[in-house]
Amino acid sequence: MWSSHGVDEEDRLKKGETGNLLRRALRMLRPYRGQVVLCVTVLLLWTLATVAGPFAIRYGVDQGLANHNGAALNRAAVGFAISAVAVLILSRAQILLVNRIGESFLRDMRERVFDHLMHMSLGFYDSQQTGKLVARMTSDIDSLQELVQQGLIAFVTSGLLLIVTITALMFISPVLALLCLASLPLVLIASVQFQRSSNRAYLVVRERIGQTLSTFQESLSGVRVIQAFGREAANETRFAHHNQEQLDAYAYAVKISALYFPVVELAGNFALAIVVGIGGSFVHSNAITLGTIIAFVLYLQNLFDPVQQLSQLFNMLQSAGAALNKLFGVLDTQSPVQERQAAVDLPDHGNLEAVDLTFGYSEAGPKVLSHVNLVVKPGERLALVGPTGAGKSTLAKLLSRMYDPLDGSVRYGGVDLRDASFASMRERFTVVPQEGYLFQGTILDNVRLARPSATDDEVAAAMARIGVLEHFIGMEDGLHTEVRERGSRFSAGERQLVSLARAALADSEILVLDEATSSLDPGTEVEVEVALTKLMEGKTVIVIAHRLSTAERADMVAVVDAGGIVEMGTHADLVRRTGAYAALFGSWSGQAAS
Amino acid sequence: MFFGVLAGFVWTIAKVALPLMARQGIHRGIELDEPNALRNWTIGIVVVALISGLCTGMRRYLAFGVAYRVETDLRLKMFAHLQRLHFAFHDQSQTGQLMSRAATDLQQIQGFIVMIPITFSNLLTIVLVAIVVMVINLKLALLALAPLPFLNYMANRFSKRIHPVAMELQQELAGVSTSVEETVTGIRVVKGFGAERVQSARMKETAARVFDRAVYAGRVRAGFMPLLDFIPALGILAVVWYGGHEVLNGRLSVADIAGFLLYVNMLVFPLRLTGQLVSQGQRAVAAAQRIEEILVTEPAIVNKANAVSLPPGNGDVVFDNVSFGYSREAERAVLENLSLTIHAGEAVALVGPTGCGKTTVARLLPRFYEVDGGSITVDGVDIRDVKLNELRTAIGIVFEDTFLFGDTVAANIAFADPEATQERIEAAAALAGAHEFISELPNGYSTEIGERGFSLSGGQRQRIALARAILADPRVLILDDATSSVDPTKEHEIRDALKTVMKGRTTIVIAHRPATIALADRVVLLDEGRIIAEGTHVELLRTSSRYREVLAQAEGAAA
Repeated sequence: MWSSHGVDEEDRLKKGETGNLLRRALRMLRPYRGQVVLCVTVLLLWTLATVAGPFAIRYGVDQGLANHNGAALNRAAVGFAISAVAVLILSRAQILLVNRIGESFLRDMRERVFDHLMHMSLGFYDSQQTGKLVARMTSDIDSLQELVQQGLIAFVTSGLLLIVTITALMFISPVLALLCLASLPLVLIASVQFQRSSNRAYLVVRERIGQTLSTFQESLSGVRVIQAFGREAANETRFAHHNQEQLDAYAYAVKISALYFPVVELAGNFALAIVVGIGGSFVHSNAITLGTIIAFVLYLQNLFDPVQQLSQLFNMLQSAGAALNKLFGVLDTQSPVQERQAAVDLPDHGNLEAVDLTFGYSEAGPKVLSHVNLVVKPGERLALVGPTGAGKSTLAKLLSRMYDPLDGSVRYGGVDLRDASFASMRERFTVVPQEGYLFQGTILDNVRLARPSATDDEVAAAMARIGVLEHFIGMEDGLHTEVRERGSRFSAGERQLVSLARAALADSEILVLDEATSSLDPGTEVEVEVALTKLMEGKTVIVIAHRLSTAERADMVAVVDAGGIVEMGTHADLVRRTGAYAALFGSWSGQAAS
Repeated sequence: MFFGVLAGFVWTIAKVALPLMARQGIHRGIELDEPNALRNWTIGIVVVALISGLCTGMRRYLAFGVAYRVETDLRLKMFAHLQRLHFAFHDQSQTGQLMSRAATDLQQIQGFIVMIPITFSNLLTIVLVAIVVMVINLKLALLALAPLPFLNYMANRFSKRIHPVAMELQQELAGVSTSVEETVTGIRVVKGFGAERVQSARMKETAARVFDRAVYAGRVRAGFMPLLDFIPALGILAVVWYGGHEVLNGRLSVADIAGFLLYVNMLVFPLRLTGQLVSQGQRAVAAAQRIEEILVTEPAIVNKANAVSLPPGNGDVVFDNVSFGYSREAERAVLENLSLTIHAGEAVALVGPTGCGKTTVARLLPRFYEVDGGSITVDGVDIRDVKLNELRTAIGIVFEDTFLFGDTVAANIAFADPEATQERIEAAAALAGAHEFISELPNGYSTEIGERGFSLSGGQRQRIALARAILADPRVLILDDATSSVDPTKEHEIRDALKTVMKGRTTIVIAHRPATIALADRVVLLDEGRIIAEGTHVELLRTSSRYREVLAQAEGAAA
């Protein structure tokens, strides 16, 4: 019916941006240059063919009917038929071309934005809201998609039709044309006004719909609590309020369009009255022909409809422009962690060292870590312990180059990680996050994430090596079990097992582990312990420990507090030292005893 | 409503009258040059144009108004109904599916209702125009209108063809959305295992599928849209050519030609729209059926016809020979002939391995599900005879998965009684051991929590849920694993809070941490839906090997 798009003020493009945006978009279309040229040609031909129809009719009336010339009438009919067939063929070609070019553009855009997101380091994700990033790839690209699928052709053809029709009218009879167009400024003003108010109205509608649906969803998710407390009626009142607000917003938006549409219709009918009334008196004075009147009557339909169409499409175009702008914004964002031009591969083995490592989230801000030094020898296990927020995770992230340090360096086998190639980093390091996160797909797919080239047998072998194969092979579809279907079927412990299996398959030199804080289900907890132990065999391990047992088993323990390592040594040493670790150990063991 | 119909009626007649008037103006005023004819017909056109303009706005406003109102009413009805449907219904339905009923299906219906008055107006237009042109010249009318039914037919075919393609495209787009969402949410995994290229390759496949579907949709559009424009052109051709020769033979005027041309154009949209109506109607009917399915589901748990009030009491609870299964087809009932008496003011811990039925016991008491056999009484009355609202107000429950609403902390705690004073809210929070951390939140008790607000830890959420239950001051309090997601170092805080809350109140505690179990006066060990041992924590430790086993398993998990 009409465009339901709303563009926020802040998303509205600034003057200079539009040109810039178009240039960049055109640059992305370069691979499809040939198709674009063809498409523009087809569009122009289509417009000419469309306008030719009424011309043929005018010829038929003036030359055929007025002069009683049957041959001229036949010529006019043939001319009209040719123009109609040409329009048929050309508009078909035009739809196919615009669609193909637009969709190619969108496909490239999806791939590029996603690739770009994949190249961004963790620092980028820590500073962004997940929802916003997802919106770039979904609602923003979708609004471009909608434009390509529905709006673009209508927009371009409406625009062209308007221009060419006015030109044709001016060509046939400038005076009558100007008289007909007298109401056009009024229609244009009304259209601009309508576009603005309906944009505002639809922003409100969109917000209210969101409100209603989120209340609906929340009440479904919380239905058990609502019933447990007997709050059904009260909750219904709350929902009814949002529901009514949505209706009011809609009613307002409809009101705006109900005021605008008559203006366009009226302008069209007034123009008709002008053509008949004033045009008629011109015919009496022989200034124009009867054929001109007929042609005008036909052209009038091409005059005001496009204006109405354009004003509706304008919102769609604007929100697509805003979306494109945001997408280019993502592409322009540089990853905080980059691969150097002449990056070298890391050696196969070596010490992992932190040298005078200093880090803060910004140059000027407070330092999370300052002047940290440590060495982890091949095959050694280092446990990082300390209170929440002390910098354990940050240290682990720096050691695996999820972040770059502000000062100092991290080296593996003597090579600064900042000089290392990404490919060799991937091969040497595996970081196992705190929570086992599963992607859509089978267990096999999920484990294979760590090494896409691995065969099913290799995946199974890796799982067997850490003793988790047994657990999954017994499931209904074995390793082909879909992990996401039927809700969160996998327990936290099972997800953890899959995560460890990934690490086993990756089989890299260095493992960075973030231990889960909350307790797992009793059944799998033991399995996770066993798998972890097997996984760590023969690896260089850095583990963020939340449990006493983990720290106890490590070769070395580093107590991180207040941005630095306050104590370091073996578990036994540190317990004897009665320092920070001994205190921590005390509270840990006291708790286990209770 | 009446004005809407009237406005639509007048608008249609005015619309059909205009070309006729233009034809008269051209014929009498220009061709025949009758005195004053041109002026009079021109004025006539202006007047009718004004009437039509007035009516078009009105009919639009009223048609949409009615449709949106129907959508709004239906949504509220659905909401109210879903709110009252029993647990078992909600256990089986997916939120996403119900949401799509509330959003897309309702929209389908609304879109169709809007079409109804428009369709009436369109049909009227078609009939009137057909009559007018036939009166002017029957043969030409038949020739000019002949191609138009194809328009209707093609529009219908187009609508049928494009809809499934559009749905497929939507599905692929939803695929993109899922895949992006999980990648961004799981970015730590992607980065940790260096899986960037795997994910990029997947996205490439997904994007290719979207491309494929979208290009196909374009092809369908390209097949139909130009044809829809071409068919009326055939009618116009007939008017120009045949009609032209009729003019030459003196059987028709030029003005008639003009009138015919306008009328052929006028029929284009009504025919296209009514063509789409059939498939749009089918979709609306399907949507309505899906909504109806929900609305005809009767709430299984409702007040009895002569439900009584809960008599005063201190919460004496008796399970007498209770049997229960979540579905009739299940091989084994969850509870079998379970009998359990909990005296007023007593605290009982239900302990047992996963799936032993302890949560089920907790969910039968507030009558979330109906027992299959036996009975449950609270203070001497069968819970099936008590007014549901009173029963549930008398029984407070803290669920295992704490659900909080997207509202302020205070509103969440005062859920049972939104009128509660700040003092009562704070007192409840203090009892639940939540006051301290709430005071430290950015806006204290006014801090917005939930999806779009401040995010709390699992333990904090549980303590707010506990405060929520306490504020209702229930006779019987059920704590279903209420300390499970509390950080072990913080557990003792909530345990102290529980001790205060349980004092003198009938309490059922489901737990597996020994420290929490020890809070209860009596421990009931459940296994496979039966009570296999009863006694104090210490007694059971001594006498029941199964009890020790169950605890050891839980212990292993906590170590």
